[in-house]
Amino acid sequence: MTTVPEPQPLLRLGRRGRAGVGLSSREALFLLVPAMVPILILSVAPLVRGIYLGFTDSRAGFGVKTHFIGIDNFRMLLHDNLFINSFKIGLIWAASVTAIQFCLALGLALLLSQPIRGRWLARSLALVPWAMPSVVVGIMWKLFFQPQAGVLNELLYRGHLPGSNIDWLSSFSWALPAIILVGVWAGMPQTTVALLAGVQGIRDELHEAAAVDGATTLQRFWTITLPQLRPVIVAITTLDFIWNFNSFGLVYVLTQGGPGHQTELPMLFAYNEAFKYGAFGYASALGDAMVVVIAFVLGFYLWGRLKEAS
Amino acid sequence: MRRLLTLSTAVVLCAALAAAAAQAVPRKHSVVNLTFATYVWQPTTVAATKQIVDSWNKSHAGIQVQILPVDVNSVHDKLLTNFVGGTAADIVHDEAADIGGFSQQGYLANLSPLIPKSLKAEIPKSVWDTVNLGSKIMGVPIMLQTYNVFANMDLLKAAGVKAPTIASPWTWTKFRQVAKQLTTGGNYGVCWGLRSPTATIQTLALNFGGQFNYLQNGKWTFKWGAGEQAIPKIMHDMIYVDHSIDTAAIGLSGSAVLPAFFGGKCAMTVQGNYQAQGMIQQGPKGFNWALFPPLKGQSQNQAANPQTYSISQQSQHKAEAMQFIAYALNAQNMAKLAAGDWLIPAAPAAGKIVIRSTKHYGSWKNAISAVPYFRKANWVSIAAYPQWKAEIATPAFRSYLADKISLDELGKQLSDGWTKIHG
Amino acid sequence: MIVSPRRKTARTAQYVALGCYLVFLGFPLLWMLSVSFKGPRELVELHPHLIPSQATLQNYRDALTQNDLPHSAWNSTKVATATAILTTLVGLPAAYVLARQKGLIARLGLGWILLSQMFPLVLIIIPLFLLLRQLHLTNSHIGLVFVYMVWTLPFILWMLQSYVRGIPRDLEEAAMVDGAGRLYVLRTVIAPLLAPGVVVTALFAFITSWNEFFLALVLLQTPDKTTLPLRLAQFVGIEGIPRLGPLAASALLATLPSLLLFTIIQRWLTRGLLSGAVKG
Repeated sequence: MTTVPEPQPLLRLGRRGRAGVGLSSREALFLLVPAMVPILILSVAPLVRGIYLGFTDSRAGFGVKTHFIGIDNFRMLLHDNLFINSFKIGLIWAASVTAIQFCLALGLALLLSQPIRGRWLARSLALVPWAMPSVVVGIMWKLFFQPQAGVLNELLYRGHLPGSNIDWLSSFSWALPAIILVGVWAGMPQTTVALLAGVQGIRDELHEAAAVDGATTLQRFWTITLPQLRPVIVAITTLDFIWNFNSFGLVYVLTQGGPGHQTELPMLFAYNEAFKYGAFGYASALGDAMVVVIAFVLGFYLWGRLKEAS
Repeated sequence: MRRLLTLSTAVVLCAALAAAAAQAVPRKHSVVNLTFATYVWQPTTVAATKQIVDSWNKSHAGIQVQILPVDVNSVHDKLLTNFVGGTAADIVHDEAADIGGFSQQGYLANLSPLIPKSLKAEIPKSVWDTVNLGSKIMGVPIMLQTYNVFANMDLLKAAGVKAPTIASPWTWTKFRQVAKQLTTGGNYGVCWGLRSPTATIQTLALNFGGQFNYLQNGKWTFKWGAGEQAIPKIMHDMIYVDHSIDTAAIGLSGSAVLPAFFGGKCAMTVQGNYQAQGMIQQGPKGFNWALFPPLKGQSQNQAANPQTYSISQQSQHKAEAMQFIAYALNAQNMAKLAAGDWLIPAAPAAGKIVIRSTKHYGSWKNAISAVPYFRKANWVSIAAYPQWKAEIATPAFRSYLADKISLDELGKQLSDGWTKIHG
Repeated sequence: MIVSPRRKTARTAQYVALGCYLVFLGFPLLWMLSVSFKGPRELVELHPHLIPSQATLQNYRDALTQNDLPHSAWNSTKVATATAILTTLVGLPAAYVLARQKGLIARLGLGWILLSQMFPLVLIIIPLFLLLRQLHLTNSHIGLVFVYMVWTLPFILWMLQSYVRGIPRDLEEAAMVDGAGRLYVLRTVIAPLLAPGVVVTALFAFITSWNEFFLALVLLQTPDKTTLPLRLAQFVGIEGIPRLGPLAASALLATLPSLLLFTIIQRWLTRGLLSGAVKG
């Protein structure tokens, strides 16, 4: 084929597609059905029902019927200090993990974009937490934090630092900071990858021009790198915050929400309500409350994007 | 395009059909298949259970039993999901204090009409009372435990401390005093793993008459009196006043403090009496351990909270299930199970059969000496108890033992929590 | 070329920083590796060392023979493979549409991909559990695979559609103009170009379902069906003295497959995610 003749509409045109390649809506539908059907049945439908369950008194019981009870669950939630506690812990956790993770990941991304030796090792290691099951991450850090024969306490002891006797994950004061550390470690890959992509996407000419103008590295960072990265930063921190707020597996393995509800994230509280006490309606109401928080965060993000676009 | 779609739909349908077919259990009309979910974990008890099931299966071709192991750390959660999901086993192994909730939810069968007279007669009424919920019997008691002091006799002898006897047991005061005496040179008097302190505290509270729940005008209320406060206060003061309990270890589970005990870091430890098995299996050779008779407050009473076998309401073969339970809990078999776990069998006849010959001080004799002191605790049979225990009591007790809240605040949290859950 | 002292300090600082990151990222893993080679006596020593004084392979032997780990690993393999295949098969046509079509459906699809990441799993898991119970698909690998498929689809679709976008439309146009049917074009022109992307995506789906924990925790009830992460989680809390050596060995063995696969695909992974992340 040396010449490409005039494209002729051999196939039915899609309503918006370009001639030839455009899919007709019928074809598009055919291709989507195998994915859409399971999604509708196993994802959308349960989600809708789950949201609805928050307004019912659904609970475990042989032959127990479910009734619509309006906003009673939500009224109970507001008076439940365990609910308030879990949201407080959830927000502290999400904010801390996201913020610390961001700073560390940004640093790492900047480093990885430099031509220094050994960065292939750092790149691979940075992705390792992503590859590991959350259970293994939990086990690994449990070994790290072990009170009597663990490495953290041993290092503190050798360095003559205080705290070498603390049972970190069982301590009322230290459990939350400890799991935040683990959360940061586990979330490094996603954030680093996104920021690295952003950093590498900044056109070199911008940096070169600024360097020619005599700007220092720090000045270049503030005036070029950060502003250019802004869309990526906003996107990834929003996503991270939401993912962290919804987190379950890692903390379940590390502390099960203990000691004494000190690390009980919203999802953990909901899990207990649903699968320990069988209070399905109540747990779903909690899920609905979580969605409200997330919607706020998302709304904030979208509003920011809209402002940018205008 | 259309062909591809039809083809893939066909493939998916075929896969689903094959799956459904694979899931269908082949029906053998003459054989009843029972599933038996049990959380036994000590190797000796696992072997004993297996042996009982094997001998049953051999002699009862028409009723075949299959063991389904359950993880001991998540029995309640697993049972709940199984019940809700309709996949519960026919015979369910749990404990008296936990089956209240499931009974109220309707997941357990009422065993009163099913229990054969011989089995009923074997076990004393006081033990049947623990599984009696509103005149319905929800489980068959198997074996009970107490909390005892285990001691490193070498360390005690070196300090000139004499062991208690069944005739003259130690009081809590004496225990505290010895613990303090043995706390020297970086070592502690007692290692006590208080990660899950609720069962220990409430069981021992009967030493001081603390029932926690009292029937008032037909309603179960929560009271925080001297009897209830005694044990937590003793624990707290031993940690923060006497400094005879290792603070670093209180967040650990009961079994996790054993390495320190074996290593001589602490002279004594408080454990469920079943830990005698742990001493035998995990202890270093020649380790001179002893199991002491129960401690004495105003009395030596401890709450009876037996392990139980129940039948799930969804079971299609309740009568056959009870036949197996009756067999598994006849005197010889109950003795085998109890011996494997070093627990006290519910039936006195079985207790006589269990012979423990160890060189270790007292041991089985001391364990069995607790039998007259089992009392019914009100909280064991209340439906709301499991949730109150997990959601309110354990975190609150841990807060208090970590010195984060005062004794009064502890009482308030426990009481408010009870009102919130039970009403 | 003379490197200015300023540059040199900057470089040194960078290496130090890199070193710190390497320690932070790698040390916990190194410690677990160390624990996995220590015998039970050494593990209860109050002042442990990084390098085991008496290295032993017994923990690995225990891991492989006890606690049903190989069986649950096999379960995980079955489930993960089925999920990877099914998700890719189902996702590919849909991704094609999302990448090429500019209409409402495509926008809905992409919107759903983003939105579905936001909802807490607890909302879905209860009705899903109740639904699967009616279909008798609880405690079944088939049920789990379908759930995993739906659960991994968003990310898979995202990756696949960016790969499809990477193939210029003109190629398809040109081929079809010559009278070839769409199916033929897809098979002979697009598919070979997509192949690397599809492989990466399928491997990613495998890793994600291999690692998954929460859904398996709720949906699988009996020990014979347990997947590997679930088995490990039970290991962690066992009554009785927790045997740290075999636990560490098991954890390492459990993560080996996903680590290996991840190392293989990581280069393509970052490329595939680039477009998604930057465009946000």
